[in-house]
Amino acid sequence: MQVDVQSLGTFNRLAHEGAEQATSALAQMTGIDAAVEVTKISLVDRADLGEELGDDDYVGVQFDFEGAMAGETVLVFESASSTEIAESLLGDVDTDAMARSSVEELGNIMMSGFIDGWADYLDAPIDHSPPTSFERAGSAVLPEAPADGDRDQVFVFRSQIEWVEETVGFYIYMLPAYDALTELVSEQAAAAEDAIPVEKLEVFNRMNRQGARTAAAHVGEMTGIDVSAEVTQISFCPIEDVPRQVGEETYVGTAVEFTGLPSGYLLVLFDEPSAVNVAEALLPVAPDGDGLTEDHEAAIEELGNIMTSGFVDGWANVLQQSVDHTPPRLVHDMGRAILDPIAAQLGQHQQHAFVVDATMQTDEVAVRSEIHALPNEAELRSALEALDVDRADQTDADVDQIF
Amino acid sequence: MADVLIADDSEFMRNLLREILEEDHEIVDEVENGVEAVEVFNEHEPDLVMMDIVMPIRDGIEATDEIKTNHPGANVIMCTSVGQEEKMKEAVKAGADGYITKPFQKPSVIEAIQDVVPT
Repeated sequence: MQVDVQSLGTFNRLAHEGAEQATSALAQMTGIDAAVEVTKISLVDRADLGEELGDDDYVGVQFDFEGAMAGETVLVFESASSTEIAESLLGDVDTDAMARSSVEELGNIMMSGFIDGWADYLDAPIDHSPPTSFERAGSAVLPEAPADGDRDQVFVFRSQIEWVEETVGFYIYMLPAYDALTELVSEQAAAAEDAIPVEKLEVFNRMNRQGARTAAAHVGEMTGIDVSAEVTQISFCPIEDVPRQVGEETYVGTAVEFTGLPSGYLLVLFDEPSAVNVAEALLPVAPDGDGLTEDHEAAIEELGNIMTSGFVDGWANVLQQSVDHTPPRLVHDMGRAILDPIAAQLGQHQQHAFVVDATMQTDEVAVRSEIHALPNEAELRSALEALDVDRADQTDADVDQIF
Repeated sequence: MADVLIADDSEFMRNLLREILEEDHEIVDEVENGVEAVEVFNEHEPDLVMMDIVMPIRDGIEATDEIKTNHPGANVIMCTSVGQEEKMKEAVKAGADGYITKPFQKPSVIEAIQDVVPT
C-alpha cells in the first residue's frame, strides 16, 4: 500500500480546515475566541495515542463515521473549561447535566462542520452517528480500539486548539479506519512520483522506537538514572507548523545537522529542570553556581551527542550506509525559537515535513527529554525505497566483528 | 605507562577520559579537532591516541588516516558515540587499532588500551 506526499498534504489541510470550521462554530455560539494551533497527521503506536493529554480530566464527545471515509472522531475539552463553555452558551448553568448537554450539542455542531469538509472534498457522503458524551482522564478519552484492532500503528489526524488569551485548550482527534484511509490515498498514490509504501513507514517507525530505546539506555548508562522511551511517532505537517510541534517552554539541548540518506536535523531537548538534573547526574562533582552553569552545558552537549548517535545509528546500520552528523550545537531557548531556523532551512526545499518524535522520561528523578528528527522529505522517501524490511531489526553494529 | 593524546571536541568527555587514564598513563595533550590531533601527534609522537570521530574542522577518521599514513606504527583507538557499521569499516580502513563506543565504562577503556598497547 502506497501513500503519496501530495495526498498527505491535502488531507492534512482538510483536517486543519475542518478544525478551523469547528473552531469558528465554537466562536459563533459562545463568543469564545479560539485558534487552531497545529494540525498534523501521525503514524503512531495505538498504545501511545493521546500521550499529550497527560492525566488531566476532559469532557468530550465521540462520533463514528462511515461512507466515503470511515472511522472515529473525538473532540475533548479540558474539564476545567467545560463550565465556562456551558455558561457562554446558556448564561447560568443550574445542573451538571445541563452543562454536559450543552457541551454535547456544541460538540455535535462543531464536529459536523469538521466531517462535512471531508465529504465535500471527497464528493461523497459521510454519515456520522449521534454523539456520545463522556468525562474521562487522559488518553482514556480516545476510542478503546481502532476499527481494525489487529494493527499496532494507526494514522491519526490531531488538531490542537487554544483559546486566545487563555491557557485552556481542546483537541480534535480523527482516527480513520486504516484500510479506508490507505485505500483512499493509494488511489492517488498509484500515479504519484512521491509515493511512500506505508508498510515501510511503519517499519521506519519501529526502527525509531528502537533508536529511542538505545538513546534512553545511553542516558541510563551515563547517569545511573533509569530512563525509558515513552512515545515514538512520525508526523506529517506543513513546514510552517513544525516549530509548533514543541512547547513554548524553555529547553536546553543539542542540535545537529546530519548528512547521508536521509539528511536533515536532529534535536535532543530537555526542559530546564530536567537539564540540570541530568547534567548533575553526569558530573562527578556538583558545579558551583545556581541554575545552568557551563559545566552543566558541557555535560548536556556530550549527552546530546551520544543520544543523537544512539538514535540515527540504527538508520545507518539497517540501510547499510553511514549517516554523518555535525558536532552538537548547544541550544537554550524557547522551543519554537529553537525550531524556527531549522524549519526555515528545510522550507527552502519542501513545503511539508515528516517529523520523527520520541519522548523519554523517568519517575526516579524529574527528567523528561524529547528527540525531534526532521529528515529531508525527498531523501526520506529515497531511504524508505532503499529500506530492506527484512533487515529492520539489525539496528546494532558488532564492533568485535569488525575490529 | 603509555603517552596518550586525547582528541575530543567535548570538554566533558576529555575530562572523563583523563580521569580514567591518568592513573596509569601520561596524558601528553588534549585537543579539540582532527587538525590539532595531527599537529600534536607530529610534535609528540605519543604511544596512543584516543580519537573521537565527530569533531569540528576535521573529523577523527581523516585525522587517523593522516597519522597512520605518516606514522604506520602509531596506535589509534577510536573513542566515539558513533555505532555505525559503515563508520567502523571506515575507521578500519583509516588504520584504527580499536573502537570504543560511548557511553563507556572504565574497564572497557582499560581493556581496549591493553589490546592495543600491551604493558
